[in-house]
Amino acid sequence: MKQVLRAALTALAVLCLGVLSAAAADDTDSPDRALADLLAGARAKIPTQCDSPDAGTLVQVLCSGTLRVGVRGNYPLFSTRVAETEERIGYDTDVGRAIAAKLGVEPEWIYVRAATRISTLAEGGADVVIATMGHNTRRDGEARFIRPHYYSSETIIVGPRDLEIANWDDVRERRVCSTIGNYANSHLVTQGVRLMLFEDAARLPEALNENVCVLAAHDDSFMAYYLGEPAFGDRFERKFGFDQVPWGMAVAQTGTDDFALALELISEIMHRDGEFLALARENGIFTSFLENQQVLWQSPACATVAALTDPACVLPALDATPPATRFAPEVENSVAWMKDNIGFAPELPMLTSVPAFELFMDGIVNSLILVVGALAATLAFSLIFGFFAALPFRASRVVAWGIITTLQSSPVILTLVVAAAVANTIFTYSPAVALGSAIVALGLMNGCNAGQAIGEAADSLRAEGRYGTGFSAALYWAAVRRSLTQLLSFLVNAAKGTPIASFTGAPELLSALTDITSFAAGRVTTYTMVLVFYIAVVFLVVWACERVRAKLEQREARA
Amino acid sequence: MTGLGALLASDYPADLATGMVVNFRIAGVALAFGLALGVPFTLMYLGGRVARRIVAPMVGLMRAAPTFVVMFFLLNIIPKPWTLFGVDLTLPPSMIVALSLVPYAAAYIADNGRAAILGLRAGSQAEALLFLPNLIRAYVVLVMSSSAGVAIGVNEGVAVVLREAERQSTLGEQMVVFAVGVFAFGAVFQVGFAIVRLLMRSLSRRKKAGTAG
Repeated sequence: MKQVLRAALTALAVLCLGVLSAAAADDTDSPDRALADLLAGARAKIPTQCDSPDAGTLVQVLCSGTLRVGVRGNYPLFSTRVAETEERIGYDTDVGRAIAAKLGVEPEWIYVRAATRISTLAEGGADVVIATMGHNTRRDGEARFIRPHYYSSETIIVGPRDLEIANWDDVRERRVCSTIGNYANSHLVTQGVRLMLFEDAARLPEALNENVCVLAAHDDSFMAYYLGEPAFGDRFERKFGFDQVPWGMAVAQTGTDDFALALELISEIMHRDGEFLALARENGIFTSFLENQQVLWQSPACATVAALTDPACVLPALDATPPATRFAPEVENSVAWMKDNIGFAPELPMLTSVPAFELFMDGIVNSLILVVGALAATLAFSLIFGFFAALPFRASRVVAWGIITTLQSSPVILTLVVAAAVANTIFTYSPAVALGSAIVALGLMNGCNAGQAIGEAADSLRAEGRYGTGFSAALYWAAVRRSLTQLLSFLVNAAKGTPIASFTGAPELLSALTDITSFAAGRVTTYTMVLVFYIAVVFLVVWACERVRAKLEQREARA
Repeated sequence: MTGLGALLASDYPADLATGMVVNFRIAGVALAFGLALGVPFTLMYLGGRVARRIVAPMVGLMRAAPTFVVMFFLLNIIPKPWTLFGVDLTLPPSMIVALSLVPYAAAYIADNGRAAILGLRAGSQAEALLFLPNLIRAYVVLVMSSSAGVAIGVNEGVAVVLREAERQSTLGEQMVVFAVGVFAFGAVFQVGFAIVRLLMRSLSRRKKAGTAG
């Protein structure tokens, strides 16, 4: 009996030891323990390393007792300033406060804009940026992102409740308002959406309210506030969403090893304990991502420090880098050489990525088709209108006059829209249909004016009595020759008007480059390029017209 | 189906009128800047050979520049905000449209101003006075061209027309909306050109009287 009791006690002792040692092992791999050890190690360096330039960001933050947090100035529900004070409210600022509290320091708010979030970090203006920043592969090279991600959003299309929009098919060829630099623009462009771009996201709800935009695309996080407002929410709704992107806090790339690890451990703990979720609920933002993350980080597989690098636990950055062209390295080398040797270099996004290059080349080809087509259509319509205007019959002249007056009375852009609307009713929308309708509209508008000039020339020739009072081929061609100056000037006008076709979805150069700059840098270079291109095209048309005129005059002189 | 009567009884006509006021304003600003730039060009045209050689290609370039592209160019190169004498300024989109029309306006005024002064030098006051109807013609053309602002979010006349058209479900209904828009712009165009024709006729009579006298 004694032996049995001894064996049982021994087994119990072994079991207890086993449990205790397992518990000890778990504790060393727990994020709480790792965070405590990391902070203790950093605090041990205070105050000796406080003035050292080699002290990392974590030590500097603990020394100063302040965590400088870069936050958005006015991003409802995430970071807004309380009127007349320096106090800020919102999910991002609450996260900043919670992190500062876990580090045992006070937060200091640094105002950042979308365009300055990363540069502020690089310049040492903030220790961490918590500013509604999507984590994509392009940004990975510019800042160190903290994972697990503290939030996630998707881009949503918002529009009037009475407008039926359910998917991409319903927004194709429609105009959608977005912001410059929005990563979702490249997706919108590839779906055949026409963009109207604004500098500031705050303009989007205003533009919807003022009916400047019918549809707008932006982060659901941003739109949530406005959709929650009764006046806005009664009129507009979320149509559909796309491009889910995780949001990351970010720190500078250098001197931040310990600091980044501390933030990662804090994020893991906050997910596991539902602190992120509670803050999100307090601020009334969407919580489905945080609910899923809490379940994930509570699971045994992700409840360890090792999980911070486990792809099964942390999300990857959104892959936003388009494939590079095969000559991208040469372009980048040339740009770098220019920067080094001249001090200035243009940004050439249209040459460095495959989708941008394809858009660019298609844009050039389509522009040339458009110009040649508009010239041919102008010539054809001027001869047709001229024929009817030159006839000595009242009925034909009245009809010609009616059409000419109507076309003259309509602004170019409106005529193009009407032509596109008719074409899209007859044919299924395609870039070719958009180009074709623009060619017809430009030809009609300029051709009718030139045709009117031919009609007036015919009248003047009749008045001179050289061709009688009736109509003949000789009179008609003499009228065409007499109105040559007007005809040529309307041909030039047609060439000048071709870029307006971009408004109705014709994929010419202006449209292509606007699409490229909506998701890439280099706006100044790009728009300078398009201006030079079109001025060169117009000069070429002017030169060609002058040559034609000279040839005709020579022929007449010989005759 | 939205009939013409229902459309005219809605807010559409009032909104269209409000939008077209923006077009008039843009055209006015463009013409004012065009005059400010075009008058010195005219004087340079009539100056020495050097001045003429400088101004001729500049005016040629301005004539060739497509307004729509210039508008996007300005929209994207002018920093927001930009600083002038230490003051931060932000140009509204309507001002960008007005500035994009300035090259056309300035080139037009330079050409017509030159013709007017040459006429005056030749002793024909009536020919010089043709500058006035040409100015009205330029204003009407600028009003029509300012509708390009719809592409950058300016709430002008065509923007109102397109917005109303988007509300309609059939092409027929949209055409009614477009027709009202064309009629409104057409009225401006036709009235403007009627004034031009009247002035021209009156000047021509004056010219004939001058010659006879």
